[in-house]
Amino acid sequence: MTPARGPASRLRVRSIFGQLTTASILIAVIAVAVLFAVTTITVQRQTRASLSATVATDLAGLIDIYATAGREELLRRVNDRQDVVSLEGRRSHYLVADGAGRVLAGDVTRWPQLNAARSEEGFVALADGTEVYAQGAKLAPDLQLLVGREYDRDRAALGVLSAAFLAVGAAIVLAVAFVAWITARHLARRMDAVNAALGAAADGRAASFPARQRGGDEIDEMAGHGARLLARQAQLLKAYKQVSEHVAHEVRTPLMHLDNRLGTAMQARPEAEGGPIGQSREDIRAILSMLDSLLDIASAESRRGDLAGLAEIDMTALVESLADLYEDSAEDAGLTLETSITQGVTMLGERMQITRLLSNLLDNAIKYVPEGGHVRLILRPGPHVVVEDNGPGIPHDQRDRVFERFSRATVPGDKPGHGLGLALSRAIAERHGLILRLGDAPRGAQFILEPAP
Amino acid sequence: MSGLNILYVEDDPRAAQAVQDLMLADGDRMAWEQTGTAGLQRAGAEDFDVIILDRMLPDIDGLTIVSRLRAAGVGTPVLMLSALGRSENRIEGLEAGVDDYLSKPYEPQELVARLRALHRRAAGAVHGAVIIYGAFECHVKARTAFRSGKHIALSPKEFALFRYFMENAGETVTREMLLRDVWNMNFDPQTNVVDVNIGRMRRKLEDGFTTPALETIWGAGYRLTRGE
Repeated sequence: MTPARGPASRLRVRSIFGQLTTASILIAVIAVAVLFAVTTITVQRQTRASLSATVATDLAGLIDIYATAGREELLRRVNDRQDVVSLEGRRSHYLVADGAGRVLAGDVTRWPQLNAARSEEGFVALADGTEVYAQGAKLAPDLQLLVGREYDRDRAALGVLSAAFLAVGAAIVLAVAFVAWITARHLARRMDAVNAALGAAADGRAASFPARQRGGDEIDEMAGHGARLLARQAQLLKAYKQVSEHVAHEVRTPLMHLDNRLGTAMQARPEAEGGPIGQSREDIRAILSMLDSLLDIASAESRRGDLAGLAEIDMTALVESLADLYEDSAEDAGLTLETSITQGVTMLGERMQITRLLSNLLDNAIKYVPEGGHVRLILRPGPHVVVEDNGPGIPHDQRDRVFERFSRATVPGDKPGHGLGLALSRAIAERHGLILRLGDAPRGAQFILEPAP
Repeated sequence: MSGLNILYVEDDPRAAQAVQDLMLADGDRMAWEQTGTAGLQRAGAEDFDVIILDRMLPDIDGLTIVSRLRAAGVGTPVLMLSALGRSENRIEGLEAGVDDYLSKPYEPQELVARLRALHRRAAGAVHGAVIIYGAFECHVKARTAFRSGKHIALSPKEFALFRYFMENAGETVTREMLLRDVWNMNFDPQTNVVDVNIGRMRRKLEDGFTTPALETIWGAGYRLTRGE
């Protein structure tokens, strides 16, 4: 059976619209994250470059003083500068030390991990834990100078920028998610309506396609195509039904008149019952039966998987009734009819057609299994029906075409027929969403009727 | 049971004539209408025991006629006699409200048997706990059968068949009637399964007697004899 469809408005996990919504959110998150990373790295680089330039300028000024005014002037200037806070709000730190690192002037108490001989610069922590950007320089073999700047305000500015970025980013992601969800839900509803109409049509129920939206788009176009396709299919089915009914009517009517005349002739000569007149009447019925079977096959095939007109039938009662009907025929043919019928099995179907299908299988079994054999009829939930016997079975080279029209097994004991029974049985099975296939029993024939995969 | 008052709606004069000859020979009365409109009017205006309705009429489809009759509250039993005899045609007919469906060509005896059975069903014949016909007795509650006072041991299925023949004693019982009313199957398997079942019951009913219990009506079915 076709699984029940959920409400049209529900976004399903596997819905393409659900996937599009998820993808949109993901792309928005990634875009915001990349933008945030690029901005942060750029700001950090700018900050470092600015700190480096500030420290280098200060350092160059002091070196200049040392070069022009000497060591004492340098020590005095350093002591003057250490309390100055720059315009950018960066607090300055200095250290003038001798060759062994002993403090000669400045507020820094210990030389950090920077090589003064190579004029190294970078972010370092001072002895009291203050984080600074600093650069060292060796002025003389026993004199080295360190200049540092605090950057806590730069860091705070970066924090504010990050917070602002995250807030705006989150708002963008939420907005994208909301718009994507609304759009996807709207599209999913419309697609669900088209799908529901197509599903209903496929199941043979009344189908109604959604109304065209203003302007029309791809979904409207698809719905329009679907509606036209259904109308065309309905028209073809109607034409097929009309033609088949007229053919049947036009063939049957003259045959009926012929049969009536033969019947009247037979009444006048009752002894002719088994003679040519009686045989002619049998032939008329055989021709009509063949015509009906061919039309039935065509009709069943045209309604494959169509659930219209099907109702719940009690398969247990139906199979028990058939077993009861065929029991005597089997006994008369010297066969044993064994049954294994599960109680309470039901299915959606057309009772008359399913009865016909199963009676075809039982007729075949009784017809082909030699005296002393057995026929087994099994019903399990599903429905799963097996009709098997221990007769001659289907010759291997005929297995593929046993379900074809006019295909008759050429086995000993064959009796005349049109070879339409199994073709009709299979067509009936498929019309009910079932398959009828040959099993692989080691001996005899085994027909299995079960739900199509 | 004879003397049915029948309405036949059929556009083919030859088909209508054949049925008319048949029914008149059996002592029934038959009114014939050639169009659906005339048939519909007449069915609503007069009382008939049973209506025979063709399906493919030139003006109104037979299925529409029966639907309109049922909608108008006309409950007269309808037998659809149609050239469309496939199972899906029969299902359509029964769903539209016809009481029985017979396809052309048909055996005259079968048509007569079905019309009588339809009329009996509509009349709602009530049978007692014991049905007696000629030498046969059917004790419904005890589920036992007797012929000329001799108990006949029947299986439950054979008893169901015997009872059906007793309830339709003297009338032709068709294979389709048996399939429908005994096995609850609305189709004709086109094989001799019903005849085999009848044969077994028949042998038991005739065992030790010189006269037949059933007579075969060619192409139609069987009729229970009086067994005397």
